[in-house]
Amino acid sequence: MSLADATLAAGYTLGDFLLVAAAGFAVLAVGMLYRAVVGPTMQDRVLAVNVFGTNTVVILAILGAALDEPTFLDIALVYALLNFLMAIAISKFTVERGGVL
Amino acid sequence: MSAAALETARVWLVVALTLFGLFFTLVSMTGVLRLPDVYSRAHTASQADTLGAGFGLAAVALTVGLAGAGFKSVLLLFFIFLTNPTAAHAIARAAFEEGIVPWTEGDDRR
Amino acid sequence: MWWVADADSPSDAGDPGDGSADSVGSTAAADADAAGGPAAAGSVIVPVEPTSTLRSTIAHVAEAAATGGAPAIHLVEIASWRNGDPESDERAAAAERVLERAAAWTAADLDDSEAPGAADVEVVTAVIGADDYLFGADDYVRVLAEYAEANRADRVVLDPEYTPVGNTTLLQPLEFALSNTSLSVETAPVDRPTRRERFRTEATTGRLVALFGLSLGFYLLLGDPTYWFDAVTGVATAAIVSITLSRVSLDSDPAIPRTPMRILRGLVYVPVLLFEILKANLVVARVILDPRLPIEPTMNRMRVIVGSGLPLMTLANSITLTPGTLTVRARDSDLYVHSLVPWAREGLFDGSLERWTRFVYYGRRSARLPTPRERDDVAILQGDDATEELPIAAADGGDVTAEGADPTADPEEVTDR
Repeated sequence: MSLADATLAAGYTLGDFLLVAAAGFAVLAVGMLYRAVVGPTMQDRVLAVNVFGTNTVVILAILGAALDEPTFLDIALVYALLNFLMAIAISKFTVERGGVL
Repeated sequence: MSAAALETARVWLVVALTLFGLFFTLVSMTGVLRLPDVYSRAHTASQADTLGAGFGLAAVALTVGLAGAGFKSVLLLFFIFLTNPTAAHAIARAAFEEGIVPWTEGDDRR
Repeated sequence: MWWVADADSPSDAGDPGDGSADSVGSTAAADADAAGGPAAAGSVIVPVEPTSTLRSTIAHVAEAAATGGAPAIHLVEIASWRNGDPESDERAAAAERVLERAAAWTAADLDDSEAPGAADVEVVTAVIGADDYLFGADDYVRVLAEYAEANRADRVVLDPEYTPVGNTTLLQPLEFALSNTSLSVETAPVDRPTRRERFRTEATTGRLVALFGLSLGFYLLLGDPTYWFDAVTGVATAAIVSITLSRVSLDSDPAIPRTPMRILRGLVYVPVLLFEILKANLVVARVILDPRLPIEPTMNRMRVIVGSGLPLMTLANSITLTPGTLTVRARDSDLYVHSLVPWAREGLFDGSLERWTRFVYYGRRSARLPTPRERDDVAILQGDDATEELPIAAADGGDVTAEGADPTADPEEVTDR
């Protein structure tokens, strides 16, 4: 029995709480989309998408814990690395001369 | 008895860590939405968000248990602490190279 | 540029320095292409590193100096360390050995030379630039120029394989920066045994093994170390990674006890950093959630005393992780840091992160140094307290947002150093 099945209060388990928390992270991430759409600069958008990606990683990990699916963590790991590459690549190619990092 | 008490403590620690994570992510989102220019937004995006993600992943590690897949969560935490500031630096530097002047008091909101 | 110097030596005419001496040299060199350097009255400086082409470079320089009547050949090693760091003594001793060997070669070549002036050429060796960390070509050229000034030398001959830092593409920038001084510069026209790509470093066994171990460890951590399939694919993957990437991912050999000591001290640093992050995040969270949003963002410049590469990256990332400060740009040893609130800026100027970084990489003794503020290595670039102008590249319409309201932007300040 994993910790996610432990009873928290009033018959709800820790898994239920983590699901709600994941939903909370998702709601906060959606707020970041405003910045990704409005900008105004390219860097603002990259930044917002990067934060969005970090939140996605956390949501994936929390879902993995809540649903007792350890494989979600592998996906989160790959997603975190891809997210980093995305930020680096876009910042590199938005600068005309290149050469960021 | 003692095992049950330990489990209860762990459960409530997970809850506390998750709530901390949510709080700092909220700070991060507020910052990204409110702050006036890309540099100050990068502050919250790199710092508050890293800490929020750190708390969230620590909660996950505690739930899953370090003996199982929890170390992957710790690995993830390590990567995020390494890559998030680097990414923020790359983005801020790209903005600087593009010639975006940092906002100072008295400027218009951007 | 060495490939131009390879093809024909009169390319030196492009040098804005003493053109007359150059043209004389070119005609003198026209008869012997191997000794194709411009002969000049002043001494010759040869930056020395233990490369595969050092021997032939010295042969070329000795021959050119003997024919051209240069009074002295200065063999210099530009220090990539700083006096007082741990291991600086060892590295200085290693440099001395290289210099001694180079001096012996030069003397032998001069003895063998049939040119009349060979007996009059003096051979001098020196280690220069060990008082400071040197970043990039400009710093190397400054040190070289000071040395040339002091010793009345007017020519620099570069070894085509010369890379003082070990991993960076420094030769071309070095030549470019040298061409802006009054020194004349030439790359010795010697055969390079292999033409490797420049931004790679040497592939050494130590790096190969270290990277192999790291990748295999990571692979098995994610997989199952007891399952034979994972072990086999892990070894194969780690082999591919270490063979293809060991030349770009590590820039110095892991060493005992330096590397384990650094890791241990890094482990001490992690909780300290985490506590700092937590503490400062709470303060910044209060600022951000405050309805009045009491921020006073400014850009600042801080010159830090840590080595280039990994130490600088650690410091810059620590600064970025600590709330209220964000490293925007690292130009040599100058960090351009954006600060959100004055409190964060003052904390930055106190330099505790710098001291911690020095502790992690160089040990406890090296961590004691004056704060950046006491060293006068800090500047505020914006706002009411501004002491310097903002060196921003306000290039061709790159500024998408409302600009012009900020008088601190100055396009001419891009290359202030």
